[in-house]
Amino acid sequence: MNLADIARVHDRDLAGEAAAPEAQGLMHAIMSEERERLAVARPRRRVGRGLVLGLAATATAVAIAVGAGLVGGPATSYANAAVSIKKTDEYFSVNITDPTADRRRFEEAFRAVGLNVTVKVIPVAPSEVGKLIGPIVPGGFMWHGSIGTQSIEPCSSAFCAKVWMPADFPGRVVFGVGRPARPGEPYVDEGPGGPEGEEALSGYVSHGKAVADVRAELRRRGLKAGYRLMWQYSDGGWFDEAVPASRVKGAWTVASTRFSSSDTVDLYVTAGKDAGPAPSPHPQPQWYDMPD
Amino acid sequence: MGADPNSRFVEIYESAYEPILGYVLRRCPHPEDAADVVAETFTIAWRRIEEVPEDHEARLWLYGVARRVLANHRRGERRHEQRTAALRERLAASPALARPPEDEISQMGRVFRDLTDDDRELLSLVAWEKLDHGQIARMLGISRNAVRIRLYRARRRFARGLAGAGIDHPRAVALEGSSL
Repeated sequence: MNLADIARVHDRDLAGEAAAPEAQGLMHAIMSEERERLAVARPRRRVGRGLVLGLAATATAVAIAVGAGLVGGPATSYANAAVSIKKTDEYFSVNITDPTADRRRFEEAFRAVGLNVTVKVIPVAPSEVGKLIGPIVPGGFMWHGSIGTQSIEPCSSAFCAKVWMPADFPGRVVFGVGRPARPGEPYVDEGPGGPEGEEALSGYVSHGKAVADVRAELRRRGLKAGYRLMWQYSDGGWFDEAVPASRVKGAWTVASTRFSSSDTVDLYVTAGKDAGPAPSPHPQPQWYDMPD
Repeated sequence: MGADPNSRFVEIYESAYEPILGYVLRRCPHPEDAADVVAETFTIAWRRIEEVPEDHEARLWLYGVARRVLANHRRGERRHEQRTAALRERLAASPALARPPEDEISQMGRVFRDLTDDDRELLSLVAWEKLDHGQIARMLGISRNAVRIRLYRARRRFARGLAGAGIDHPRAVALEGSSL
């Protein structure tokens, strides 16, 4: 018997599948999406970081709604000091002008054009400031149409995006607006996927190095270290557990590094053989899980 | 990269769809779930078309993406999308996929299933996707030497598992494309 024999299906069994109408239909559906940064809502199972909502309320809020129906239907465009939203046939055009504004200013604008969403203003790394993050659909998106965002450049505001979302989607939808984190304030992490391959320190590769070595490099650069143990599960899943320094041995291996605030770099550490049994995954509430 | 994104994507999709579908089906417990994994894999390729390497390397890149999408899928990030409904039905109705996976019914399959994910994936890439050491190294982002060493160990563990299960002459069980 050959190992190849236990495969459920061989590529040769699939000859011609690419030409099947279902496969071609999928290709066209994919290509009908806008290309860059079309972030489909999908909560990521990662441990949440600290969350501090921005409360820089605008002193005066002037809002302009256009196209509101006589019976009080949604407007086709809406603008206030924080954001302007314009409805087109296919999508909503969103321009963020003040990423530090009160979240209610964003929510009122979305609601004015018929989208019932929750907005949270979240502390992010400098490169992420002003960006519209999400949409996140904590309950999963199983509905007609599509949901997603695409950033637009050039942009004369802080951030410009197209947003796709069916107005009749009944589930909870959360958007984040990135505001500058204060010095030392933890970033809300919304990078795509896990930190695999990420290096936080310019000119320094942490991957494969011992924790003690990376820690020394951080000290040399005047940075603090945070620790996250990477646990692998037999089902192929993984879980990163935030742990205190005392749980991590200097000889264990660093997989990657990522800034978690302006002065702290998290070391993603492969749990050593002497780390004990892997814990059950216990995802902590994410920023989008917090009470509205 | 002369081709426009649309024609380039069509070319990549049409040449890699079957191997990627095969890769996913061989690792997905439920054939219909494969539709969503395949859709997400190619959606990522569409969004990041500039990053997809040329020629045969595109398939390796897509295997790497599919591997991560599958891992997310196994972690419970499941969602069925409207756009994959037709493909899900097609896969669910496929006679070729009607029988249960071999790892549920044969002794060798059960030994294979009991290997670690890493061992199983390496052996599968050789036996099922017919990748050589260099291709596996590029797909996984590790050195050829690391692939060689890990494969050697995976084969040894597999052989030990077969022997432990009482399968005679485990060394006669060949990995297609290489010797055990």
